[in-house]
Amino acid sequence: MTETAAFQDAWPKPSATPVVEAYHTAIRKLAADRLAADGRRWEEVVHDPAFQPTAADYETIEADLLASGYRFEMSAIVSLQEAPDKYKAVAERVDSGLQEEDEQGRSIVGTGDNVFRAQDVEGTARFVSTVERVMELLTEGVPEDTIAVIDDSGGTLTAPILGDFKAVICMGGTVRSHLGILTREYQVPCLMAAEIDGLNEGDRILVEYAKPAADAYADADTAAAQRARVIKVS
Amino acid sequence: MPARHTYPELLNANAYLRKASESFFFQCTTRTVQESKLFPVNPYIALSYYNAWYRWPELLRKIDAAMPAEEIGDRARQVGSYVNTITMGLIPQFYLGGRQFLMDMGLLRATDAIDDVLDVLDFGRRVNLSLHRSHAHITPSDAGQRAQIHTARQTAHFEEGAIGVTPGDKLHTAFGRFMATASAYGFLSHCECRLSFNNHGPYKTRGGHEMLVRDMLDLAECDYPWMDGIAAPIEHNNLTVTVVMKDTHFNIVDDWGSFEATPSYDAANLVAVGVYTSDHLSDGYIPLHMDNASELADYLDEVRERMTEATSGMWKMMAGWNRTQMIEAGLLVYSGVTKDLAHFAGVYEQSDWFDIDDKARRFYPLMNDEYGGGAIAELVGLLSLTTQQNSEHHMEKFTGARGEMWTPIPYSLLTDDEWTSTVGPIGPGGTALPAKTALYTTTRGKLTQEENNRLAREFRPTGWDQRHYDDDTWVKSHPHDPRGRALDPAPVAAAPTGA
Repeated sequence: MTETAAFQDAWPKPSATPVVEAYHTAIRKLAADRLAADGRRWEEVVHDPAFQPTAADYETIEADLLASGYRFEMSAIVSLQEAPDKYKAVAERVDSGLQEEDEQGRSIVGTGDNVFRAQDVEGTARFVSTVERVMELLTEGVPEDTIAVIDDSGGTLTAPILGDFKAVICMGGTVRSHLGILTREYQVPCLMAAEIDGLNEGDRILVEYAKPAADAYADADTAAAQRARVIKVS
Repeated sequence: MPARHTYPELLNANAYLRKASESFFFQCTTRTVQESKLFPVNPYIALSYYNAWYRWPELLRKIDAAMPAEEIGDRARQVGSYVNTITMGLIPQFYLGGRQFLMDMGLLRATDAIDDVLDVLDFGRRVNLSLHRSHAHITPSDAGQRAQIHTARQTAHFEEGAIGVTPGDKLHTAFGRFMATASAYGFLSHCECRLSFNNHGPYKTRGGHEMLVRDMLDLAECDYPWMDGIAAPIEHNNLTVTVVMKDTHFNIVDDWGSFEATPSYDAANLVAVGVYTSDHLSDGYIPLHMDNASELADYLDEVRERMTEATSGMWKMMAGWNRTQMIEAGLLVYSGVTKDLAHFAGVYEQSDWFDIDDKARRFYPLMNDEYGGGAIAELVGLLSLTTQQNSEHHMEKFTGARGEMWTPIPYSLLTDDEWTSTVGPIGPGGTALPAKTALYTTTRGKLTQEENNRLAREFRPTGWDQRHYDDDTWVKSHPHDPRGRALDPAPVAAAPTGA
């Protein structure tokens, strides 16, 4: 039985994520305290706006969590821009210095799941992670040999320029993500769920888009063996 | 006091609820995690569930009173509109998502708002039964992942009308480019969600080929206020494209109107296409520029150029929105999945669908990106919220774990348990987004809200009285009966201009 809720639960279980657990526990306690103080039956209060927590109550719950030192993971750029004090800083790009080499001794700086089988593509890696960068490319044009390195598997951040990329490497999502769907429609070669290590802006790279398309139903070992490589060529 | 419902009502409601629960779990875990660096997607999804919880019961009752759910399903089966497989399948999901979140916060019990819950589930069940009447299931997953909502007369018409293409020819090239541009445009106009697209089928066609009927929706100036002006050059609000593919089997057309094919969809296998428009005011599907391949290719190129321009303009506008505006636009796309029901019924009011209920808005302070992501992941993927847990002996259909997505309605309501009836009437609401000012694009031209509703209420499709002959079982034994012919689409002809 949960002790902080307004009702009993024979089979409780803590939430799987920390913020949900913190918030829902706090709200359950708030509701239980209000019910106890109110004196009316549940059925008399549940739809009463005066009983329901307000936006101010929820602001307090958030403030309490932030006061503990907790900072949130961001997913949308605008969230971090508008409330930088609430979010963790964006992680730096990985460069372990431990990259493996291909058959010709060139550094393998990434792997990913191929969305559809095309030809291998050589081009220049250009990171596209911000609204400002997209606006710049939209205004000035996408350089011809751009292999866009994107950390967003959605289809909206790069929507107006996606068809202008020579190829795409996406550091998230799956081959079924919206970006995967769109690149297939545009016939722009694309790797999804890419893991990169030592790839930098302006690097000349060769990407193995001639690999078979990733099988979304493959087991982990098969999927790992199928991953296409990103090779630094200069 | 016992609730005013019968035991069979609750049995049916809980069976539909559990079917919805399992359908949504399969879809959410086999499609993909929806994310965007531009839009705070999970916060807006979570908030849309609250808006659905507080607003849909009254809105669906209003629609049902003007046109019963099963009649809307009948009408929607004749056109490509926002009343389709994905949007109607989401009726129980988004609504029960709000209920489950509130229960998990200790702000609601399974015995609360019982009349609302039963009304929404009943509406959802009736409209889906009717929409999917031709294959006699309530969801594509029940049909082995096929969404064959069309009758033989419709599929025969689509097949006959499709124009042949070969890779590299003018129409094949134009079609491929158009589909890519329309896809990007649809994801953007719908704030990163896939609701702009819906697929039905597959259907077998001559030569062992398969045909998919693909809807692209809300493309022009429509209900979404953010498309005012920017989408003005787009002539038709809904487009339906038929694609006939060789050497391709569409092995999945699922509950979200998405498809998978074996081998993978490859434009090189495209052998014929058709393009139509339709909506709640059209007499079936209206062919567009299908007199010959060259004319259709020119039309698709023209639409593509207009959509490319509109995509740039819309992206620049959206990139300038603040977080609240981004969340509210996405939230409204989600909680607006049922909005076209009101168009069919002729009772559409912009404020019903594009004001956000203040009771939902009070949750804004909770909706940082991490909470939104965690809450949605737990609710529909991990099934890990405490209110979703059953006994240690329980095994969920797919996971074998004890979590089930949606909590059933307790049967104790029928005896002596306490319960409440409804969340009450729709309360005040608002939005930080600009108000809609443009007209609504329809197949009858650009209309005011009042004109649109009036025409919808007056509209009686040709053959409506014969709709119960729109049934392959009846046609099989009456192949030459004129009652069935009354529903046949008009032959392919020049399309009207939309505006």
